[in-house]
Amino acid sequence: MTTTSTFKSEADRPLARRPWLSRWSDPDDTTLAVILLAPAAILLSVMIVYPVSRLIYTSFLDLSLTSGLPARFAGLANFRQMPDDPVFWQATWNTVLITLITVPGSLVVGFALALLANLPFQMKWPVRLSLLIPWALPLSFAGLIFGWFFHSEYGVVNDVLNRIGLPSVIWFNSPRLAFAAICLAIIWKASSFMAMIILAGLQTIPRSLYEAADVDGAGRVRRFFEITLPLLKPTIVVALIFRTITALQTFDIPYMMTGGGPGTETATLAMYIHQNTVSFLDLGYGSALAVVMFGLSMLVTALYLRMIRGSGAAS
Amino acid sequence: MSTAVASTLDSALSGKPLRAIAAFILVVNGLFPALWILLTSFKTEAELTQKPITWLPHAATLRNYIQAFSDQPLLTFLFNSFMVALLSTALTLLVSVLAAYALARLNLRFRGLIMSVIIAVSTFPLVTLLVPLFETMRALNLLNSWTALILPYTVLSLPVCTLVLTSFFEGIPRDLENAAMIDGCTRFGALFRVVVPLSAPGVFTAGILAFVNAWDEFLLALSFNSNPGLRTLPVGIQLYQGEFAFPWPVISAALVVGIVPVAILIVIFQERVVSGLTTGGVKG
Repeated sequence: MTTTSTFKSEADRPLARRPWLSRWSDPDDTTLAVILLAPAAILLSVMIVYPVSRLIYTSFLDLSLTSGLPARFAGLANFRQMPDDPVFWQATWNTVLITLITVPGSLVVGFALALLANLPFQMKWPVRLSLLIPWALPLSFAGLIFGWFFHSEYGVVNDVLNRIGLPSVIWFNSPRLAFAAICLAIIWKASSFMAMIILAGLQTIPRSLYEAADVDGAGRVRRFFEITLPLLKPTIVVALIFRTITALQTFDIPYMMTGGGPGTETATLAMYIHQNTVSFLDLGYGSALAVVMFGLSMLVTALYLRMIRGSGAAS
Repeated sequence: MSTAVASTLDSALSGKPLRAIAAFILVVNGLFPALWILLTSFKTEAELTQKPITWLPHAATLRNYIQAFSDQPLLTFLFNSFMVALLSTALTLLVSVLAAYALARLNLRFRGLIMSVIIAVSTFPLVTLLVPLFETMRALNLLNSWTALILPYTVLSLPVCTLVLTSFFEGIPRDLENAAMIDGCTRFGALFRVVVPLSAPGVFTAGILAFVNAWDEFLLALSFNSNPGLRTLPVGIQLYQGEFAFPWPVISAALVVGIVPVAILIVIFQERVVSGLTTGGVKG
């Protein structure tokens, strides 16, 4: 053992004499970058790149696990099936409508909450908590709770209506009313996060700008439109795009509130993907639907990357 | 005229009564749903079906909480949620600490590109992972396991955590690391003995975000883990409803039990959470 080395053990060798060790423990920048970024890269390849390629491949297959038949190449059959599928149109239309209603809705409500929260309160924590708790409340819980709020017999919404002299409303029997209730729940859940982001933006605007505007005799309304809004634009753009992507994936709240009902009137694209995959085990059609969803959000992401490059908010 | 109106408006908007009204609106908006569930959880089934409905419980009872634990394996749901969230948080932190260090400290040629990839991944729709992951997990016999959730949740939080940690690392002076390396630390030694401890608040913030993301996730948990012994809390809650019955007081009790752990985290670390959310500034 001792014949090959004058050192008692490998550990007693000076660092410089152990090139293999120094390469790993004291690497140059490039090697280090590769080592540090490798876990993330591997994880993203295994969990995103592979599944997405698998998804696109499966979308061209006739693959239904209930039929017991092996997968068969079906070309564009899954995609051709979509135009004739009324539930697909319904679910896609609902998803788009939810996005168009709840994204601006949560922006407006979130902005209002942020302006209120930005007032000079003596105690900051109650305000902070009332924005944080809705954010931390699981979406599925929010769906359950709002479903209970809108209950036709014992819901608090109908109770309030009765107290001010209005009749009770059976919310979940009517597609429109059920849809409205869902949008309200989503706006409530999303607006507090929006408010936190906008509030943080508001607090970075230097006070001196407002003081200068004061000297010029600008009122509160003018200061809002000429200082606050333009300076917050980059923050708002980022928040809006993320909200849009999240809205396109809406699942938890309608699933818990209405289960897509009445019928499939309030089903979303995500719910239809889930149903085709997990309940019907029709992986081919489920994949094709997911490809449509993927395309929709890639479109929004592309828009997002272009916009932040434009405004320089990425760094 | 208009300036007079504006200045009246100005003084009205900065007055004390207005602040009280604003605080009232904010608190009611933010806390009413959670408060309502808390009140419901103390009501008896008989009180719940009274008309007009009561707001405060007349004969408060804790029976619903006992029933929440005995009717369904609530403790198991909590344990599954907790372990999945904890393990995915640990994995996310390990991977994102390394990536963030590279992004903050090394002169990378493709830094812009890597940042773009991270932002693109943060907008990735998790729903589209449902089908291929369902297929893969089914083939690998991983449906109804923690692993089926831990891996996707790690990817879900990786971008946010990397962004938060990168900005924290950038705030730590390089001199400290250099000093440690002169004293004989390797680069990894300097990373884990100097940089990580100094950015503990950042690591902690990223950890809370990852934990809450995992604790809240519903779609994949619903699709992959349907076995009652492996359900997470949001999925387990569904088992309380019978075919026709909807035992609201018991469900409310279970919801309260599910909200409390995260609420405690949020109350204690509120400032940190806010700073993390606005630095990562992305998901919600």
